[in-house]
Amino acid sequence: MEFVKQTLLLLWKDLLLELRRRDSLLTMFFFGTLLLFVFHFSFDLPPDRVAEMTPALLWLAFLFTGTLGLTQLFQVERENHCLEALLLSPLDRGALFLAKSCFNLLLMFLVEAVVMPLFWILFNLQGWNLLPQLFLVTLLGTVGFCVLGTIMSAITLRARARELLLPLVLFPLMIPVILATIRCMETIMSAGELGAAWSWLRLLLGFDIIFVTVGILMFDRVIES
Amino acid sequence: MEHWSFVALAYGIVWSVLVVYLFSLKSRCKKAQIELSALTSAQASNEHDQT
Amino acid sequence: MALISIAIGLYWGLVIAPPDAYQGEVQRIMYLHLPSILAAYLSYFLVFIGSCMYLWKRERRDDILAHSAAEVGVLFTALTIIEGSIWGRPTWGVWWTWDARLTLTAILLLIYTGYLMLRSLIEDEDRAASVAAVLGVIGFLDIPLIHMSVYWWRTLHQPPSILQPNKAPWENIAWPLLIPLLINIAAFLLLLFYLLSLRYRLGEMRDQIRTRRLEQSV
Repeated sequence: MEFVKQTLLLLWKDLLLELRRRDSLLTMFFFGTLLLFVFHFSFDLPPDRVAEMTPALLWLAFLFTGTLGLTQLFQVERENHCLEALLLSPLDRGALFLAKSCFNLLLMFLVEAVVMPLFWILFNLQGWNLLPQLFLVTLLGTVGFCVLGTIMSAITLRARARELLLPLVLFPLMIPVILATIRCMETIMSAGELGAAWSWLRLLLGFDIIFVTVGILMFDRVIES
Repeated sequence: MEHWSFVALAYGIVWSVLVVYLFSLKSRCKKAQIELSALTSAQASNEHDQT
Repeated sequence: MALISIAIGLYWGLVIAPPDAYQGEVQRIMYLHLPSILAAYLSYFLVFIGSCMYLWKRERRDDILAHSAAEVGVLFTALTIIEGSIWGRPTWGVWWTWDARLTLTAILLLIYTGYLMLRSLIEDEDRAASVAAVLGVIGFLDIPLIHMSVYWWRTLHQPPSILQPNKAPWENIAWPLLIPLLINIAAFLLLLFYLLSLRYRLGEMRDQIRTRRLEQSV
């Protein structure tokens, strides 16, 4: 399908650029790790309390790290006027949206894959066997974040005080994702399995599906000059 | 019935905010009106000069 | 004409309210609280409609409607929160509580304040209109999701405590209280439309100013 081909093409372009310069990835990775250290100093938690706070702390870290990535998302295009070039070409805007979202998702996936085990190590947590499930839930939440975040990143592209405005418009809309993901993670960590939190997971999935669709449909309105 | 003070507070705040907003709207409208008529007459005189 | 409707609304609301029987004086604040939140919801719905129409048809008047409704909506939402807080103090003893309804209202305030900030921070009017319209649609679509998640969170994880959030007034409202409530709702809605129409006119004028300025510079 033409649409899929375009998406993959754009994604590949971003990946290549990132592989060469690695700005975003490294910055995000170090920032995420730095946050873990800051949390450790800020919350002087006794070991038994840490497990309770883990989902929340992790997600805070990912939120802020992800926002960092989002502000960078269209930076490459802006720098060399590539955006105008992209828009002049007959590329489907929806493909651009998907490609950018996937790119950010991949970056965050890599960061999370490192930061989560790191968190377990730094905070001396048990339950290593739960990590795959937790990671899966985190990933679903990250999808929601990247999708909505890409739209917001494009929306705030030409605004003044952009770095401040982006979180301002994004975070309230992210509340269902934040709540759902953290609740799921808490349930997994306390009960060992998803079970009771299943409805939260459905909410998360619904959120992802809805906003991927909305993004594909509306992205051309967002990105035009 | 000390609760009356709360009621008064609530009603007071609400209505004063609404009144303030109303006046701010009206004054903004007035300024826009002035600006608009200035622009319109400037344009009209321009066209008059050109013909 | 609109002024008359406000006057009537005000008068009726205040006159009817005092002679009524009520459980605790503070209950009166409901006559402000409920109409305010209804006005806010209606405004946000109008933002949604305006945004959708603008994305579809690109007519300036839809954008002006969306912008106006957002501004007025934020006003009423802020009022709702203030009223809710004042009502909460004597009822529950605290100025703020994270119960579902107050939290939701606060989130709404954040979303649409963000909308207004977005518009004011983008220089190009046409772009501002387009992206704000997208935000308007997305924001509105997200509201049911936010609603669900906050309610689940608050009911599943906080068993009812001493601080019982008041039940929705329309559930158990006594008849004598219903009439002033309805009157006040009507009054607030009239007020809403009046403010909206004023704000809309302002938007129209600003739009004309902008158009003329563009013409003149050509």
